[in-house]
Amino acid sequence: MIRLIAKRLTAAFATVLAVILLSGVLVHVVPGDPVTAMMAQSVTATPEAMDEMRSRLGLDLPVWMQVGRYALNALSGDLGTTIRGNEPVVRLLLERLPNTFMLAVAGLGIALLLGIPLGFVAAVNRGTAADAAVMIVAVLGVSIPGFWLGLVLIQVFSLHLRWLPVAGTDFRNLILPALTLGLTYCALVARMTRSALVEILAEDYIRTARARGLREHQVLIVHALRPALISIVTVVGLVFAYLMGGQVIVENVFSWNGIGRLAVQAMLQRDYPMIQGFIVIFATSVVVVSMSLDILYGFLDPRMRQR
Amino acid sequence: MMSAKMILRTTLSRQAIRRSLAAALVAATAIVALPAAAANLTVARSVDADSLDPQKTGTTQSLQITNLIFDTLLTMDKDGSVHPGLADKWTVSDDGKTYAFTIRDGVKCHDGSNFDAAAVKFNVDRAVDPATVNPNASAWGPVSGTTVDGNVVTVKLSEPYGPFTSFLTNIQSSLVCPSSVSGAEFKPIGTGPFKFVGWTRNDSIQLEANGEYKNVNPLIQNPGKPYIDKLTLKVIPEAVARMAALRSGEVDMAEPSLEEAGDLKSDAGFKVYAADLSGQQMVAAFTWKIKPLDNPDIRKAIGMAMNRDAYANIAFEGLVGTGNCPVAPNLFATDEALCASWGVKYDPEAAKALMVKAGYGPDHLLKVKLLVHKLPGWDQMHQIMQQDLAAIGVDAEIETREVAAFFDYMKGVNEKTDGEPAVWTMGMSGVDPDYLYFLWKRPGFVNMGLNADLDAMLEQQRQLSGDARAAKIHDIEKYLMENAYAIPLLSPGWGWLMASSAKIDGFKMGYMVSLLFNDVKVAE
Repeated sequence: MIRLIAKRLTAAFATVLAVILLSGVLVHVVPGDPVTAMMAQSVTATPEAMDEMRSRLGLDLPVWMQVGRYALNALSGDLGTTIRGNEPVVRLLLERLPNTFMLAVAGLGIALLLGIPLGFVAAVNRGTAADAAVMIVAVLGVSIPGFWLGLVLIQVFSLHLRWLPVAGTDFRNLILPALTLGLTYCALVARMTRSALVEILAEDYIRTARARGLREHQVLIVHALRPALISIVTVVGLVFAYLMGGQVIVENVFSWNGIGRLAVQAMLQRDYPMIQGFIVIFATSVVVVSMSLDILYGFLDPRMRQR
Repeated sequence: MMSAKMILRTTLSRQAIRRSLAAALVAATAIVALPAAAANLTVARSVDADSLDPQKTGTTQSLQITNLIFDTLLTMDKDGSVHPGLADKWTVSDDGKTYAFTIRDGVKCHDGSNFDAAAVKFNVDRAVDPATVNPNASAWGPVSGTTVDGNVVTVKLSEPYGPFTSFLTNIQSSLVCPSSVSGAEFKPIGTGPFKFVGWTRNDSIQLEANGEYKNVNPLIQNPGKPYIDKLTLKVIPEAVARMAALRSGEVDMAEPSLEEAGDLKSDAGFKVYAADLSGQQMVAAFTWKIKPLDNPDIRKAIGMAMNRDAYANIAFEGLVGTGNCPVAPNLFATDEALCASWGVKYDPEAAKALMVKAGYGPDHLLKVKLLVHKLPGWDQMHQIMQQDLAAIGVDAEIETREVAAFFDYMKGVNEKTDGEPAVWTMGMSGVDPDYLYFLWKRPGFVNMGLNADLDAMLEQQRQLSGDARAAKIHDIEKYLMENAYAIPLLSPGWGWLMASSAKIDGFKMGYMVSLLFNDVKVAE
């Protein structure tokens, strides 16, 4: 078990390091740099002044040196300061992380509350109209862009009904973006629940359970849904990690002050330290979640430990 | 104290004598004239400020906020003339190298400290210190030293710099109170009409009116404290969401998208404001080092094909106008009529004839790139432009880039002397025609500099002042236009628009797209 954990930790560390290096290079390859992005709006800087600013910011160094330097600092926990505003990247990210976390939890919560019952209904009534209806909803949910759904919700609940505010980052503002995420991901959850259940319902032990004369709801909920949930957890974990990477689009539509918005703005401004800080956080959260899942499985399923 | 509105509301909840009592109360309030309820204003913008230190940021979104908290040494009227600001009066030495500013008495910072000549010296020194990494540093000019004597601050320049006083009206030259930088972190303490209250990055900035404020800016009527008490600037990045917030009353003002601005303009419930004084001008330029665009006749023909009225009225919904000069209207020495006499006029037939003379026609199209960057309105303008050019036998292929990438790319394009010829468009802004210097003096902005003749003229205008300087600027404009290096298009240049509900009165946009809230009143 300890060997498994050690292996997973090493792999996780290597992954994060690789992400830092690769993203560092990619960020510098994108045309335009922070100084041109800053100066594009008004013509107040001579080429000499822009060059001087580049050298003060260390942007005149070779890319490998900039990236290497950044990686060394990042590994010691220093993500640098933003080019615009000169603020510590870590502080900006940590200030917003709770908002993104709250939205991810709320969105995932809605997705699970809606998705699992829907998938359950579809699996149990496999091949019937109910199944088809649920699957149509699921396809719609996956196909509808969160961006569009969010705007429709704003039009209905903020503009016409005037029940909820359009923009901001407090509890009342949480409802619409969480609903947008929930509706989008409930489709995914419903599909997964359905396929996991369908597979399990065909297992011998379900037939045995029925043969033993257990009540149908007992068969379905205790013997079928519980094992199905274990496989759902994997994907839910990864969805959650993805949500923690900032629901970039939904955060923008609802002016939710999370790390996704920070990242979008940083990209437009070519604020390298900020972009890389975001990538580090995103990569770390994905890696940590999947590593935890791996380790968790090690406990749940002894076969996993041998791999 | 209970406001009139609250009294009214409590009364209304009593059913029996509702109507008559309410009417009586309204009459009573009118007679007693109770002080108005605190007026709050919420404004939604698309992008947040990135710093509130005016000496560390060059973006419009940041300077729009710093201009509310800080004042400038001088101010500028609608005609480009310079007026007092924090300085009551000023003198310039004969050699144009020494400026003495007398600072207005009794100016107080938001924290109660005095704002005096020493504070001005502190600002100038800090603004030009390379350690500050001020993106606006070069616009301060060749400052070589500052001294203080009583309430007079003297700024020495190493050479004459004609646009200096214009620049001192620019929101890029805002002056902070020295107490702002006394701690480890910058605290926005200024002398301006609004005091800083709080800032949640990417979410909102809260300001409150400065009760002590005395205005001298000629663009503003209100002599004292702003009429509104609290001002909140929210960030709502998504245009549709911003409009929903405006329409639902969640915000009083919002930056509209160009399409929405067209709709709001015809809606009695809303007002739309364009940045007429932005100092912004759009121009089309050429890769004139690349054949056949080295031929001024072909550049002229392309300019003559451009239907600027259509760009203004169709692409920009009539929210911007045509601008005839290579710098924006309203700035010093800008004479739209003079420029019109130098520039090419829309005349597709004559353009065709010029193209034929140069050897191009329906059977031999001139292939060019139309290099542009993405902005609302501009995209449609470029499509119309493409058709305009097709009409005279120029086959233009549009290549669109994102802003930061575009200017980086243009740097390389403008260096080339062979390859595919290109027409490109850009916008620029400033408070003085001196931005011609930044653009066109070699190497120039994104390497667009021209030649030694123009360099000399650009240097000379900086050495001059008054009418002599105006004449030199006219020479420069004439040179750029008669040789068709620049085709002036529209002003103001880009999507700086503001919309408000109809109950907002007195809002103005000043130079450099500054937001002027001093005169704003909110009707009940």
